[in-house]
Amino acid sequence: MASFDVMPDTQLYQPAELDDALRLADQYGKDGWILGGGQDTYGWLKDRAKHPRAMIDLNGVATLKGIRESDDGIEIGAATTLREIIRDERINRDYGLLASAAGRVASPQIRNVGTLGGNLSQDARCWYYRRGLDCYRAGGNICYADGPEAMNREHAVFNASRCVAVSPSDTATALVALDATMVVASVDGERTVAAEDYFVGPKTHITQMTSLEPGEILTAVRIPATWAGKRFFFEKVADRDVWDFALVSIAVAMSMDGDTIADSRFVCGGVACTPHRLRKVESAVRGKSLSDESAEAAAPLASQGAKPLNYNHFKLPLMENLVRRAMRS
Amino acid sequence: MDIASYKNDVWGQEVIRGVSWDLLWLVIVAAFIVIALHAIISATRKRGEKPSSGGERVSRHDAIDRAYHWVMAASVFVLLVTGIFPIIGLEFGWLEFHWIAGLVLTVAVVFHILRVFVAQDWREMNLSGDDLKAPFDESVKPGKYSAAQKGMHLAVTVLTLLVIASGLVMFAMIDTPLWERSNALSEATLGLVFFIHGISTLGLIGLICLHIYFALRPEKLFYTRSMIKGWISRDELAANHDPQRWTPDEAS
Repeated sequence: MASFDVMPDTQLYQPAELDDALRLADQYGKDGWILGGGQDTYGWLKDRAKHPRAMIDLNGVATLKGIRESDDGIEIGAATTLREIIRDERINRDYGLLASAAGRVASPQIRNVGTLGGNLSQDARCWYYRRGLDCYRAGGNICYADGPEAMNREHAVFNASRCVAVSPSDTATALVALDATMVVASVDGERTVAAEDYFVGPKTHITQMTSLEPGEILTAVRIPATWAGKRFFFEKVADRDVWDFALVSIAVAMSMDGDTIADSRFVCGGVACTPHRLRKVESAVRGKSLSDESAEAAAPLASQGAKPLNYNHFKLPLMENLVRRAMRS
Repeated sequence: MDIASYKNDVWGQEVIRGVSWDLLWLVIVAAFIVIALHAIISATRKRGEKPSSGGERVSRHDAIDRAYHWVMAASVFVLLVTGIFPIIGLEFGWLEFHWIAGLVLTVAVVFHILRVFVAQDWREMNLSGDDLKAPFDESVKPGKYSAAQKGMHLAVTVLTLLVIASGLVMFAMIDTPLWERSNALSEATLGLVFFIHGISTLGLIGLICLHIYFALRPEKLFYTRSMIKGWISRDELAANHDPQRWTPDEAS
């Protein structure tokens, strides 16, 4: 695959108003590329693996930035950088899970420019797809990652359907655990979608990672007060401590009633094409205390139903161990 | 407009990826042009008196054949919806429905082939010289099936066998509860299989449009009724068929 030092000839728009950005997104449709921090953009373009006619840079749209109080919790503009999220006092106090997850994204340099919207909406991390091969996800008729000799150590163990790529977003798991809502705008108006439904799998949308349609822009993320100040746990296991994607990560929110778990969210990253909720674990720990016994009972449920590929069986005990660690008192 | 779409394989060689789905619109437009032309020509022709559907009845389709026809129609309908809708942008979890309907169609077709060779006369569907004269000579009437019906059956047979054969190969390339997928085919071969599946699907779409149109035409409705109820009247038989070439039993 050829790689170039220079960017391809592409129109660059830098709107200052959301309405202008939406109009441009509508005008270019599939040929438009919504640009946040650009960390999932420039590689695609320099490798000439994607060919948008226009880039619509959201960094000049002030309304897409910042962290605001809302009626029920907080609202984070989609163009807010990960660094701002990590350093925000309110988020650290009430939604530490998101701060922890954002703090494990890539590297400090990338977090300085990378945005929440970009991290959530980034494309699949699969060697073969990223190389520009014409796989299912690229509209082709084959999966290069699911074969006897394929390199699929990083790939999915749940909910694969032809494509076996995983969701690479660290903040996605935290936001699903926090029952966040995504605000999506287009020239036709605004819609909200639950974080869990924002991410889509290959069974229904094999060429997309999110429910964003051409012409739509993720404008904000709303986090309700439901889980504010609760007990959180986030851990990401990767080959490198920085600048790497999760082999498996876990985001856990627990509502405690004294010593027992009244309600919880266990969400794994790196194991499916979408953030993967461990519903059986959530049911198993309800009413239990944080203890080694509860952890041992719940952990095996994490990997139930998994269908590992040739080289990623290790993800199953890893998921189970992350559940055990989350359950330590 | 291209007939096939192409891609580069993992070695950088250009190989066929499948049919060009732009042809879908061409097929639909072409089918509707044929239908419109036929409807206009038919409207300008003087129509004879419609035979009565009352009176004595003769059997045209056994219950088992009618059941087969409608099972096949239902499975083809599901296959088209699940196969074509995602291509035109209506995305949903289609894959399981598609291969299950494909298996139903395969079983139905195998059953039909066995029944034709074991319990029926497979020559009923052979195109003969007299069949080809019938459209041009009003004194020549067909046996059980007209030349158009036999031609349609032949075309549907070829395309259905192609779509099933290619579909079964594609079926082996996906995970199912029955097996894990095999990536055994080269990309070029797989592309050819996708192409055969796609092009035969497009052919079937065109034929299905024509089939539904003719099934709903007023002078042909008695055939559609016979595919539901099994019988046609003696009058309809006399007006449309040569009793020397087809002597059906009385309808029960």
